[in-house]
Amino acid sequence: MPEIIVKPATLKELWKTLPGLSRNRRYLAGGTDIVTADNAGVERSECWIDISDLPELGGIKETASSIFIGSCVKISAIEKSAAARRWCPALLAAIPHFASPSLRNMATLGGNAANGSPCADGVTALVAEGAFVHLALKGKRRRLPLKDLFLGPKRTALKKDEIIAAFEIPKRKHLGAYLKIGPRAYFGISKAAVAVSVELSGGAVKLACIALGSVAPVPLYAVKTSAWLAGKKLSPEVIRDAAALVKAEVSPITDARSAADYRREMCGVLLERALDSFQS
Amino acid sequence: MTSKTATFGLSCLVNGHKVEREIPSSRSLLDFIREDLGLKGTKEGCGEGECGACMVLVDGLAVNSCLMMAVQLHGKELVTIEGIKGKDGGLHPLQKTFMAEGAVQCGFCTPGLIIASEALLRRNPKATLEDIKLELAGNLCRCTGYEKVLSAVEKAKTAK
Repeated sequence: MPEIIVKPATLKELWKTLPGLSRNRRYLAGGTDIVTADNAGVERSECWIDISDLPELGGIKETASSIFIGSCVKISAIEKSAAARRWCPALLAAIPHFASPSLRNMATLGGNAANGSPCADGVTALVAEGAFVHLALKGKRRRLPLKDLFLGPKRTALKKDEIIAAFEIPKRKHLGAYLKIGPRAYFGISKAAVAVSVELSGGAVKLACIALGSVAPVPLYAVKTSAWLAGKKLSPEVIRDAAALVKAEVSPITDARSAADYRREMCGVLLERALDSFQS
Repeated sequence: MTSKTATFGLSCLVNGHKVEREIPSSRSLLDFIREDLGLKGTKEGCGEGECGACMVLVDGLAVNSCLMMAVQLHGKELVTIEGIKGKDGGLHPLQKTFMAEGAVQCGFCTPGLIIASEALLRRNPKATLEDIKLELAGNLCRCTGYEKVLSAVEKAKTAK
C-alpha cells in the first residue's frame, strides 16, 4: 500500500494539494486495477490521490449535441442511465462483459482508460462510439479523440498529474454491438473483443466505427475497415469482406490468455456476428 | 507529510451505527472492517476481486472490500454480513434458506454470497434463475458448488 492516501474535496483543492505530495503519486478512482496491482506487489507509488468522490468527475450530463459521462461515474450507474442507454448502444452492450456485477459497482471509465490496457472493455466500446476524452491539468483543459489517448500497453498521452474529467459521446442515431471471447461467458479478460457502431441509411452504411480489444498494443480503432464499410449495403458478401479486412488490420500476440492466430481469426468472426446483428 | 502523520478522519455508518475514526489513510476497506472494527465475518480470499469472499454493501451496492480503500467509505453507509438480519432481528430469509438448502460447507464464501444475493433481491425481488446466476458471477465457491446456493436464493424470494 502507498504510505499515504489524500482525498481532496474538490478539483480546486486537488491542484492546491499537489505540490505538497510525493512526486511518486497516482490517482485512485474505482481501485479495481490499481489496488489489485498493489496487492500483487507491482504498484509501488508512495502516494495515491483519491478522486473517486470528486463532484466534478461524477454525473452524466446532456447537451443538445453530446452526452458527457463523468470519468468517475461507476459502470453500474452508466447501465442505469436512460441517456447512456439511448445514445451509447455499443457501450451498453459492453457492460455485461465488464468484469463482475460488484466490480461494476466500483470501476469507472476514467480508470479503465487511464490504466491503458488494450483489453479494457469499456474504452474499446467508447472508441467505437466515436467518443472524445476531456482532460484537465490545473487551469488547462484539452479534448482528444479517445482513440488518440492510447500510445501502447499501459501508456497513455496523459501528462504528469493530468486528470481525465469526462468522456463526450456525440449524439447520433446509430446501432451498436459489443462481442467478446473470453475464457468463459462472463467475468473474464478478453482474448478478443469487437465493438461496432453503425449509422444506416436506406440499408446502406453511412458511417461505421469499429474498435477492437486485446488484439493490438492499444484499444484499436480499425481505421481501414471502418472507412471501407462507408456507403456499402450490409450484404453477406460485404460482411465477409469486412471480416477479412479487419483480420489484416489487427496485430495480436500470443500470451497467457490466447494465441495470436486464434485472436486474429476471432476478430473476423466477431465482426461478422456484429454486422449480421444489424441486418434485420 | 510523512507516513506517521498520514491519517484520515473517517466518518461513516456501519450496520446502522455512526462510526468516526482516525485511521491510517492507506488502510484497505477490508482491513478496516476486520482489524479496526473487529467484524470478522467478511473474509479475504484472493485479494484481486475474483472470489467475492470480501463482499460488503456500500450505499446498498455490493462491492469487493479487498479492492476498496477505507477513505472511499467516507460519508457512506457500510453493511457487512453482521448487519444482515431478518425483520424480527433474527436470521435473514437468505440465511435461513442457505441453511435449509445445505448451501454452506466450509462457509468461507457464504458471507459474500449472502451479500451479493441480498443486493440483487433488494433491487429485483423477482429475480429469475438467470438473473441470480449473472449476479453471482463474481462469487466463487470451491466446496459446496452452486446448485444449492442457487436454489437457496430462489427460495429466499418467497421467504422474504
